[in-house]
Amino acid sequence: MVTEKFRRQLRQESEKWWAEGLINSELHERLAQRYQFHQLERDASNRFVSILMALGGILLGLGVITFIAANWQDWSRSFKVLLLLSLFIGINTAGFYLWRRSPQHGLQKLGQGLLLLGALILGANLSLMSQMFHQSGNFYQLLLVWGLGVLAMAAGLHFTALGVLSLILIGWGYGLGWVNGAISQDGSLWQGVIQHMPLIASLLFVPLAHWCCSRTIFALSAILVATSLVFNLRPLSGWLSGQLTASGWVAVIAFTLPPALLWAYHRGMWEFSPLPSRAARSVPQSSLSGTLQPDPFQPIARSLAVWFLTILFYVFAFRWLWQVESSNTAAFFPWQPLIDATVLTIFAGLGWMQLRHQLRYHLRQRSGVQEKAVNTGTVAAMLALTAGTILWHFQSAASPQIATLIFNILLFGLAILLIRDGLALGMRHTFWGGMLLLVLGIISRMLEYNTGLLLKSIVFVICGVGVMLAGLWFERNTRPRRSTLLKPPQEGMS
Amino acid sequence: MNPENSQTPQTPQTPQDLPISQPETQALPSVTESIRKLPGWRFWLPLLFQAALIVAVPARDAYTYAVGKPVILQTAPVDPYDLLRGYYQTLRYDISDPALLRSLPGGTVLAEGRTSTRFYVVLEAPAASNATPPQPWKPVRISSDRPTDLSSNQAAIEGQFNGWQVIYGLETYYMPEDQRQQINADISQAQGQNQESFVVEAKVDTAGNAVPSSLWVRDRNYRF
Repeated sequence: MVTEKFRRQLRQESEKWWAEGLINSELHERLAQRYQFHQLERDASNRFVSILMALGGILLGLGVITFIAANWQDWSRSFKVLLLLSLFIGINTAGFYLWRRSPQHGLQKLGQGLLLLGALILGANLSLMSQMFHQSGNFYQLLLVWGLGVLAMAAGLHFTALGVLSLILIGWGYGLGWVNGAISQDGSLWQGVIQHMPLIASLLFVPLAHWCCSRTIFALSAILVATSLVFNLRPLSGWLSGQLTASGWVAVIAFTLPPALLWAYHRGMWEFSPLPSRAARSVPQSSLSGTLQPDPFQPIARSLAVWFLTILFYVFAFRWLWQVESSNTAAFFPWQPLIDATVLTIFAGLGWMQLRHQLRYHLRQRSGVQEKAVNTGTVAAMLALTAGTILWHFQSAASPQIATLIFNILLFGLAILLIRDGLALGMRHTFWGGMLLLVLGIISRMLEYNTGLLLKSIVFVICGVGVMLAGLWFERNTRPRRSTLLKPPQEGMS
Repeated sequence: MNPENSQTPQTPQTPQDLPISQPETQALPSVTESIRKLPGWRFWLPLLFQAALIVAVPARDAYTYAVGKPVILQTAPVDPYDLLRGYYQTLRYDISDPALLRSLPGGTVLAEGRTSTRFYVVLEAPAASNATPPQPWKPVRISSDRPTDLSSNQAAIEGQFNGWQVIYGLETYYMPEDQRQQINADISQAQGQNQESFVVEAKVDTAGNAVPSSLWVRDRNYRF
């Protein structure tokens, strides 16, 4: 998936190389042809046009809806049904056939806009039909059905915008439905869908992300799966009333399964491959799944896993979270969400088993080349420590101070590792993310603990000196090794 | 370090040339080609599925409205505003009160608890069945299975009890925005004089599914 930004930069750079004599004109011409440099301007204007078309489509849709609402009660029921259905079918069909035309005339963009409008009209149809027959039902049920309909069209046409729309609808429906389920427990089919949302979302949306080659859909669906896992299991239930009623194991699963699953994600995750053969070990990790193409979604999945961990550690580093003890009677045992959690744990387990060979390499070469500080080994260690602390707190609640201390160590440790990665590999976002986390952590601790100013100054001095020493130590350890990055990879990993 | 070796290990004899057939560096017009060659069924099948969803949503209620038996129910309303569907009346009935239901024969199925129970309430028509405004039907008994021994002046409505609330599917009635205020005023005035003058006419089919069909305020009928 070559991005437009890359093509722009390549065009700019290749002009420079040509001017400086690094490449000849023939090579420059071939690059221009392969990456379609002359298309870049047209692509940009096409994109602008498509944004306008989408906006226009939305406004048009709102206009149609309002017009219909104005004249609604003057029409008979059967006429209304006919009007709705014909509008729905007409707009979708027009959108589809226009979309298939060539992109030169901008008709394709119009077709896309009409298809989006058609998705909105689907929602209008569903709600007006149920209104005509005076059906009572929750708004979240309408959202789920609407999202499902839009998903079917997105899957058929491999159209990214429709996929994002269906994801937003289903996510919104899930949120409202979860709140509804927390208030009133009824065992209807709709609540069943809410309870099994992690599995449903991963089954519906991850293949869609692959078909559309869309990172947005993958990222949003991963966020939906992770949040629905945590919320469905309700690990902190009873916190507001002073006694945690969930079981320790449920809390551990809720907080460690999403990052573990996201970190271990790759396309061939569900294949159980035993110890890789010698030949396979010399090629990149992703080829174990059978393709030589690196998985485009793995970096996103991994960065989402790191995001999850940062939020988790930040929230858990607060002292007041741990003041609530756990009662040893689990009043609410989430049977249904645990089914989802079990299935996803199996996938995560398969993924981690495929990673263990990478893990073993890093453990063996302790002072070797560590390309990334936030790698499989450190993530595994952090997850294990999190799980251990949570379990210990729930089972014996020995001392909230130690749990708080452990999570603070994890928080600052992760921040420092992220900073180190950002500096070593030149990744600006990672560096600033780590800095932000560090600063947030220090400020939160300062605000949380009301100690005297003298103590605060001592703490700041120690922190500052500690950070400087850590930085110097890292650089001293990695500097002589940096030259080995240029040598050919040794047997094992590249 | 030779970049090609890490990507195409099985063809080490490839000339010093960028590998042409790697999918990520394919020229972009192929995306448009694939859209143009999209077969029609990839569109029609999802469209059919969406149309089926649209039709399935009101299907059961439309059937009940067409072939159901008219039943009159006594009310006690409340009034909110729904996000997407315009103004509607939230309706409550005398049979929505769990205390009343428990006092009927067979009402012990509605014990206090948090699990949801499905039950049927059997209603009987009043003696003078053709008055305007129509007289409300009275509940006579509760049963947990669908009653099969109903006489011609009786009907059974299916309800759900979730521990504190009774739901029949009759709780909302949509009215046009411009008439809503006027109807509301009418209803509260009528209820001020006589609590029992606001009744709802519903259609009930043989399976117990009920759909509200019109409102009777004193002797005026509002049908939407």
